[in-house]
Amino acid sequence: MELTPTPEELQSGLIGYTCPYIPVEIIAATGQRPYCLLHGNYDLMQQGTLYARIDACPLVRANIAYILNNQKKFVALIGTTGCDMSHRMFDILSEHTDIPLFILHMPRTDNKEIFYDEIDWLINQLEDLTGKKITDRLGQEIEKWEIIRNQYRKFDRKRSAVPSIISSSDFHAVAKHYYQGQIKGPLTITENPSSQPRVYLIGSEISYESNDFLELLETQFRIVGDFTCGISQFINVSITEPNLNGIKQTYYNQTPCPYRRPNTAFYQHIADQVKNQKCHGVVGFTLDYCDAYEFEMKHLEKTLEIPILRIRNDYSFQKISQLKTRIAAFGELLCSRI
Amino acid sequence: MFKDLEPQKITLSEWSEQFRQIEDAIISKYTYYDNNKWGAYLQPPASFMVYGARELRRLKFDNSFAALRLWGFVFNESERLFRAHQSKKKIIATMGDLGIVPIIVLAFPNCIPFYPECIWWTPFFNESTVLLDKASELGAPEAACFARAVLAAYFKKAYFPKPDRIFASTGATCDDFSSIMQSVEHLGYDIIWLEVPQRRDSVKHTQSEPSVKTTDGYEYPKRYEEYLVKEYERVWAEMAKLTGVDEKKFLRQSIKKANRLRRVVTSIKTMSAEADIAPFPALELMTIEFGNLYGYADIDEWLDILEAVKETITKRVKNNKGVLSKDAVPIAWISPSPDPYLLNYVEDMGLRVVETEYVINQALVEIDEGLDHFRALARSFMQASLIGSTAQRISSINKAMRTGKIEGILITNMLGGSHCAMETKLMERLLQDKPVLAIDVPAPFGITEQVKTRLQAFAEVLHERRK
Repeated sequence: MELTPTPEELQSGLIGYTCPYIPVEIIAATGQRPYCLLHGNYDLMQQGTLYARIDACPLVRANIAYILNNQKKFVALIGTTGCDMSHRMFDILSEHTDIPLFILHMPRTDNKEIFYDEIDWLINQLEDLTGKKITDRLGQEIEKWEIIRNQYRKFDRKRSAVPSIISSSDFHAVAKHYYQGQIKGPLTITENPSSQPRVYLIGSEISYESNDFLELLETQFRIVGDFTCGISQFINVSITEPNLNGIKQTYYNQTPCPYRRPNTAFYQHIADQVKNQKCHGVVGFTLDYCDAYEFEMKHLEKTLEIPILRIRNDYSFQKISQLKTRIAAFGELLCSRI
Repeated sequence: MFKDLEPQKITLSEWSEQFRQIEDAIISKYTYYDNNKWGAYLQPPASFMVYGARELRRLKFDNSFAALRLWGFVFNESERLFRAHQSKKKIIATMGDLGIVPIIVLAFPNCIPFYPECIWWTPFFNESTVLLDKASELGAPEAACFARAVLAAYFKKAYFPKPDRIFASTGATCDDFSSIMQSVEHLGYDIIWLEVPQRRDSVKHTQSEPSVKTTDGYEYPKRYEEYLVKEYERVWAEMAKLTGVDEKKFLRQSIKKANRLRRVVTSIKTMSAEADIAPFPALELMTIEFGNLYGYADIDEWLDILEAVKETITKRVKNNKGVLSKDAVPIAWISPSPDPYLLNYVEDMGLRVVETEYVINQALVEIDEGLDHFRALARSFMQASLIGSTAQRISSINKAMRTGKIEGILITNMLGGSHCAMETKLMERLLQDKPVLAIDVPAPFGITEQVKTRLQAFAEVLHERRK
């Protein structure tokens, strides 16, 4: 299948989305571009405080500002109740913009019926909004996005190889194309083998602007796997049945986020990943006021029983020197244990 | 019989003086669980200060006998739960939904529902950070809702007996409490999770689907109600399994009782708000409002107390008497304060709380007794404060504002609380016709001069606007 965008795709608007449970295939089948809202720029964040308090999620604040600064680009915005602040962002946006907003109820318990119904509802809404029959194009979009994800899976295999052949900061740089719905052809990542300590990254969203942070981490160790929105979480979505039912099942059954109650499957996934990828340590990254991960860090430490470096930040990385020292110390600790 | 004096707010020592005039026969008359041997709960509020609620010495209380019953009963709750456990009653923790699951639990014999999250007031009453510090040790971030005290209470096992069942509602709820409940599960407690849907405004969307309208006039997809009905049926099945009883007629009675409670509280609130002079203090009224959640673990006695409160208020209104000055400025209060002192302080500043949005609207609205029981409960829950939009949440405040009933709005927030962080600025925008003050409630014993100055300035602005 040809990945080069069609003229129609090049002229399309954006449909912003907030959550990995929102199927990109459905958005793409409207003829619009799925654009994941993953902005973490410091200036945007500051602008966002006009609309939400300083103790609101930095990502949400930056996204609000990004959307309001770029209103004309967006055809619609789709969110879920998966995270309270992200969900409430839509309330704020509804006061400040006329962009059509759709919020899915993302069940936090194991309740696929709700998710399936919500996907049906979303399709109805998007068909009505765009005038496109989504189900007609769904098979084609599934095939296209699977090809795209396969490329990333290949990168992921290299990243998690022993020794690791590509870095997570490079992976993140190309993952941006996926999240912004801009796949213009085959992707490449220059190999960069590393025999540094192997680390797994867990935590809050890694924003588009966070590449420097990943590079900083990888000065001391190699991130060989991650469970974060913003890097490689989407590679866990693998649709085998190329129709709507396949989308529903696959998206629902992807590795559950820590907000799924109980979150035992999340812990099982992390434990398996850390073991399978022969990690020496874990970096737990939490954004300020991110309850999803902040509350879990202690339990993660207890469960995984390997060294964890906890970093809490707001994307500004104002205390960079302090952070460098902590990262270096953690790197030394891991080296001493290998 | 104790005869109420002229209404006023009095200190602990004044209450102790007053308490001496109460005959022993009266003290032993009022009991919880109808138990004459160990159920007496009337005590001077000072005794609870001695037991650890140190903040009481800074507070002022209503001087009526009804208020004495109220405080004795509320402060006695922890003891009551342990007594219930000792006497083989089933203790059922219902977390997160604030108002509905206890009604199902109360349909089963010898079952006592309670909300562990109400322990969020304890660090403030006790002027102690013990629970909050322990919660931090257990992994709760410091910038999170004070309800995190619950996590420590589960850990310490000293604040309530180990529940026989724990129901926890999650979904379109605040992230803080969802995370706290998950942390409780990490401690080793078995939790039965329930899904709470959002109240998506179905009118906004062009492709409509079958919908239902709340009594407040908001439409939501009918299937959300269906999901809730299924969840409540699960609660019922679990309780039937636990107790061996499966009699739906008791649910009807339980709903009727909940409605009776809700009607009494609505009438207390309405009378208090409409009276020329505030007949009852804000702190007691907040405590009354929260009693709707589960009747403080003995709904029958609580109802009796509320009838007494209602009678007291009715008399005061009739006699045009009250506890605040006539020129106290009416305000609305959004989000409950975990620190009771603030409710006292605001009144000391010449303000009067006449409208509230304490995130428990679902516990205030009447349940439709004409519907199938579970559907009626689901429909009642669908009016919950936090599952819809901010505009919906403050609609009653807006309405009161338009009619000139309130002259200012006070919002009390928790630093890092997910809905506080996101809703406050939007509320300020939506309520911009009136002065709004939003403050963060500091940790126990943390109400500094800075906070007081802000409240004073707010009160001055409101008084100034009247001139």
